[in-house]
Amino acid sequence: MGIKYKIFSGFMMLAIMLLVAGFVSIREFMNIGQSVKKLLDDNYLSIDASQTMLEALEREDSGILLLLLGKWQEGRQVIQSADSLFLVNYAIAKKNITIPGEAELVNKIKINYANYKSLWERPIVGTDNEGDFEMYYSQHHQLFLNVKHEVKNLMTLNQETMYQTSTELKNRSQRAVMPGIIAIVTAIVFSLLFVYYITYYFVRPIIQITNGIENYQRSNENFDVEVDTRDEIKKLADSVKRLLQSLS
Amino acid sequence: MVRLHTISRYVGLLLLVNALFLGIGMIISIINHDSGTYPLMYSMLVTVIFGWFPMIYVPPAQNISKNEGFLIVIFGWLITCLVGALPFVLWGGEFTFTNAWFESVSGFTTTGSTILNDIEALPMGLLFWRSSTHWLGGIGVVMLSLVILPNIGHARFVLLRTEMSEVAESNFRYQTKRVLKILLIVYVGLTVAETILLWIFGMDLFDALMHSFATIATGGFSTKNLSIYYYHSVAIEVIIMVFMVLSGIHFGLLFATIIRRSTNIFNSVVVRYYVLSMLVGILFVSLNVHGKVFPGFFESLRYASFQVVSLGTTTGFATIDTKLWPAFSQLILIFFTLQCACAGSTSGGIKVDRIVILLKSIQLNIKRIHHPRAIFTLKLENHIIEDEIIKNAVVFIVLYLLIVFFSGVALTSLGMDSMTALSASAATMGNVGPGFGGVSSMGNFHNVPELGKWILSANMLLGRLEIYGFIALLWMRRT
Repeated sequence: MGIKYKIFSGFMMLAIMLLVAGFVSIREFMNIGQSVKKLLDDNYLSIDASQTMLEALEREDSGILLLLLGKWQEGRQVIQSADSLFLVNYAIAKKNITIPGEAELVNKIKINYANYKSLWERPIVGTDNEGDFEMYYSQHHQLFLNVKHEVKNLMTLNQETMYQTSTELKNRSQRAVMPGIIAIVTAIVFSLLFVYYITYYFVRPIIQITNGIENYQRSNENFDVEVDTRDEIKKLADSVKRLLQSLS
Repeated sequence: MVRLHTISRYVGLLLLVNALFLGIGMIISIINHDSGTYPLMYSMLVTVIFGWFPMIYVPPAQNISKNEGFLIVIFGWLITCLVGALPFVLWGGEFTFTNAWFESVSGFTTTGSTILNDIEALPMGLLFWRSSTHWLGGIGVVMLSLVILPNIGHARFVLLRTEMSEVAESNFRYQTKRVLKILLIVYVGLTVAETILLWIFGMDLFDALMHSFATIATGGFSTKNLSIYYYHSVAIEVIIMVFMVLSGIHFGLLFATIIRRSTNIFNSVVVRYYVLSMLVGILFVSLNVHGKVFPGFFESLRYASFQVVSLGTTTGFATIDTKLWPAFSQLILIFFTLQCACAGSTSGGIKVDRIVILLKSIQLNIKRIHHPRAIFTLKLENHIIEDEIIKNAVVFIVLYLLIVFFSGVALTSLGMDSMTALSASAATMGNVGPGFGGVSSMGNFHNVPELGKWILSANMLLGRLEIYGFIALLWMRRT
């Protein structure tokens, strides 16, 4: 292989190493971007909706207590605003089903909430149920806890997935950064090796040839330079040898 | 004078072999659509470049000196371990640089100690590469002890003659190419045979191949968190045990047995001691754990035999957590962790050959005390063992135990308990894998302090190069 190709191959290898490292890093950074988006779209929205649903449920529970105390207007007002808040966030959670098992949980919330709602929609103020806290604990509160449990399950599922995604993000960031670090280190080592070969196989023989010619000129010493490689340097040394032999 | 460029060419050749296996791992990852593709691809690229580049510049050498040969082996081992860590560190997960280096050294030295809490989280391509480090390291070890060291010479390396065993030296002095051919036939043959048997008896093909890589190299990396316990299969345990025992025997002797030579595994004193010591060990451990750990004797025998063979051959597979076993059984297992298997195999440690020499020399010394004027000679496999070899074997054992002790002490200074520290030190020095305490057969080395992991990595390399590899390197300037 000629000098031109040897030097070219060194630079090409260096370039390939850096290019591929750059490509892998860029690709991984793009994946990180997608993962962040996924993290926000898929999980954060559902977690936020679950939290608001829990808040709405607590308010509905307070509304029921107000009804039991005979405060019809305040109670109904609280319950209605909490109900609409719950339904809006339920719709968000339903639209954002992205994890295996999430659909089942959303469906359970729907069924349990319907049962709960059917109970507090019935009149309380002015009926036998007014002031009946025993009935509240045995029926309303139980159904309230059921819905709350399912909403909490939905939130936990999304939180766990969010944690997994964030761990994946950490790995991806390492995968994005590491090729860069490795490319820098290997490029330095490769450059040193490249310089060593250039010095050993090109510079050193040229110096030897020059010294050989000078020695010949100065003291008519035999030109005795051995070159290991089979490239232009070898041809140069052989040509110089032949030239000096023809002169002597 | 040592020619660095020549060394770089031959180390480059070793890197190209690694690149081939990285490439196979990458293809597996591509087929499997897993996260190992890019880490393996980039590692392969770097390895190919560093392997191929010296080929372009450095012409093949007509002759390689002893010193250059040694440097090729040592640099080859170190650079291979470094390159082996690349896919791990690029993949991330539990792999920091220290962890990746530890896992790679553990793989190539066929130790089998892992830092992974969750092995099954690794993508398939990376699992393949992890097991390949064992297989490549295993063939490297056998070639080192049976091809490179015998060719390097005698006088200065007379110590190493015990390593390749007198039998190997006298009966298998083939031409290098022929020895290489024999080794490859035995090595690949055993791997293929075990893979097929494991596959037939219920493992999937990938797992069967990975476990065969680890068995023949006496490594111990499994693809499952629960190691061999995962399979709950007596047949699989028996197959692995048989191949562990075979892989602990001198590969030249195995070949001689296959081609029906007069010197074979059935009349070798070393092999007889190797098998007999394990049988005695199995019996003692079985009796000790019977009633205390397992109610039935069959169960005791099953688990005791697997653990004794696994540690006694330096493989390190597990079917049970031995840290819960009685102290007597644990100490017997520690004895096997120190003794290990035969020279000329893929196993590490002190080696049965040296133990046999030591026992015979004790016997000889007792005879000399009784008959001070008589002249006795020590014979092994019908060969007279010179006093120098006996002395060297004893020095090796003492040096080995000192390193185990002092690295154990260093580990305790980092906050590790004495059992974990000493057993980890012995297990890595002997290239066994699991120890006891915090690094037991079902545990891992994840919680070992960072500096401790570097100490243990050094142990693995020292153990693999038989200590004298490094000593010879230090002596190089004198020659």
